[in-house]
Amino acid sequence: MSSTIDSATTAQKGARELPWGLWAQQTFSILSQELRKNFLSRRALLLYLLAALPIFLLFVLAILPPDDDEFQNINGLSLVFSLIYNTLILRAVVFFGCAWVFMNLFRGEVVDRSLHYYFLSPIRREVLVVGKYLSGLVTAIVLFGLTTLASLFMLYFPRFSSESTRYFFEGAGGKQALIYLGITTLACIGYGAIFLIVGLFFRNPIIPALLIYGWEWINFLLPPLLKKASVIHYLHSLMPVPMNEGPFAVMAQPTPAWISVPSLLIFTLIVLVLAGYHTRRMEISYVGD
Amino acid sequence: MAVYEHGYKPYTGSLTPEWSRFLILPRHAFRDVFRSKFFIAFFALCFLYPLVAAILIYLHHNVNAIALMKLDLRELVPINASFFHAFVTSQCSLGFFLTVLIGPPLISRDLANNALPLYLSRPFTRKEYVVGKMSVILILVSLITWIPGLLLFLLQAYLEGAGWLGQNLRLAGAIFLASLVWIVVLAVMSLAVSAWLKWRVVASGALLAIFFIPSAFGEIVNALFRTRLGHLISLGAIMNSLWRGLFGLFQRQTGQIEGMRNGRIIEITMLEPPLWASWLALALICGLCVLLLMRKVRAYEVVK
Repeated sequence: MSSTIDSATTAQKGARELPWGLWAQQTFSILSQELRKNFLSRRALLLYLLAALPIFLLFVLAILPPDDDEFQNINGLSLVFSLIYNTLILRAVVFFGCAWVFMNLFRGEVVDRSLHYYFLSPIRREVLVVGKYLSGLVTAIVLFGLTTLASLFMLYFPRFSSESTRYFFEGAGGKQALIYLGITTLACIGYGAIFLIVGLFFRNPIIPALLIYGWEWINFLLPPLLKKASVIHYLHSLMPVPMNEGPFAVMAQPTPAWISVPSLLIFTLIVLVLAGYHTRRMEISYVGD
Repeated sequence: MAVYEHGYKPYTGSLTPEWSRFLILPRHAFRDVFRSKFFIAFFALCFLYPLVAAILIYLHHNVNAIALMKLDLRELVPINASFFHAFVTSQCSLGFFLTVLIGPPLISRDLANNALPLYLSRPFTRKEYVVGKMSVILILVSLITWIPGLLLFLLQAYLEGAGWLGQNLRLAGAIFLASLVWIVVLAVMSLAVSAWLKWRVVASGALLAIFFIPSAFGEIVNALFRTRLGHLISLGAIMNSLWRGLFGLFQRQTGQIEGMRNGRIIEITMLEPPLWASWLALALICGLCVLLLMRKVRAYEVVK
């Protein structure tokens, strides 16, 4: 009887004394190593090119401004940015960028035949998953967040410099910029989680990535219930300037922010737990990669 | 036998004719490709549309079936240039996905494992190597594009009578040429990507990105500048124009939109880029890919 009580007390004590400090330290160390890889490796070049694409477009737009009235007054520019953000930044740059960053977290290590170094070191696999995911997240948020802000400023400032200063620092522009930044961050969190799991579970992650791209692309055609099974729906719900999705779009009530944001975060948490569980039992096979 | 007694003896067996040596590569590649169940399933799926199209053509000429369905199928789905254009478009799209599956590892595997000297030290030229690798894509994508397309054309000609064949011979040429151009573009592009990005997954991703990202960029350019010139950087749009041109369906004016300039509503006519510009853009893309390919496919590489 007393031994049962003893073991229960030990278990409670053990649960209280989980080495969170050590795990945090290890996570931080993986994070810094991975960040170096994500930002400075040759693979990052394509990422930089991708992130620079909208900025290049807006640079051209600044040099060769169209004559349309939308570009002649500062209020019309929010519609123009909404179009650029939805079509180019969110659907192409952030989507493909996250696919690149997060699939490479594990699949890249398998291709480089270097994952076993991590697996041989005395760290919990779950810590590895969290460290890698956080590194991908920081990379994606920094790059695509900068792209979002730079694009926004490139659209406004070359045309209306003084009005834009007032608009962003005193008016509604600052809030709008922060919302766009927030949507980009959420997109990185959501797509990051999806592509992390895709990179872990599939040997050739291109096919599922393609299916996800197709699903996200046809989101405007889906019935309201199915719309909710996509990341883009929650992101669209948060848009400060909603975009017209065309005559064939099936209209659906946007999900309120207090549901959208926690939904994406909970989904990410579930994915991370699943990824941790999968990695725990993962055996490396470099054959065929 | 002692080693020093081994003398040089030339190979006395039968030689593969020089012209067909490149076919050795697809023979081995097909063995690899058809090992994947997913690929076999996808390849089989690619024949669904030709089957449906063949049934439609048959129903057109089956009086009993038309009477049974109480539908005027001739009015509903006429067998004309649009029918074959739709066929080529859908099959070529499937051909793209097929290439994404088979194209990336073709050269990357050889480069990653330094196997290129093993090929090129044999009586096998660089050109034959590239043509051999390209023929993997050429043969497989041909099987789902122009070959069933021409079979459908012949079926329609057989059922409709000899006059139809003579009147619509242009369509046969269009089916063949439209498919061939796309297949060559796919082959050259996927080999170039495969040669430069040695990892299969990365190469597949890059191939997808090359197709989708410029398309999104082009659409944004079109929307912002109220033009259709953005189609010149979108491979899908370029091919669509060329296919329409080959089938005689191309129209430069694709609509009118309203815009506001200086407070006044104006009508803006949307003009597609001329066909020569689309051909030129495609030639430039292919030229660049060939250049990249030739730079990378070498018997040896100087590593600094």
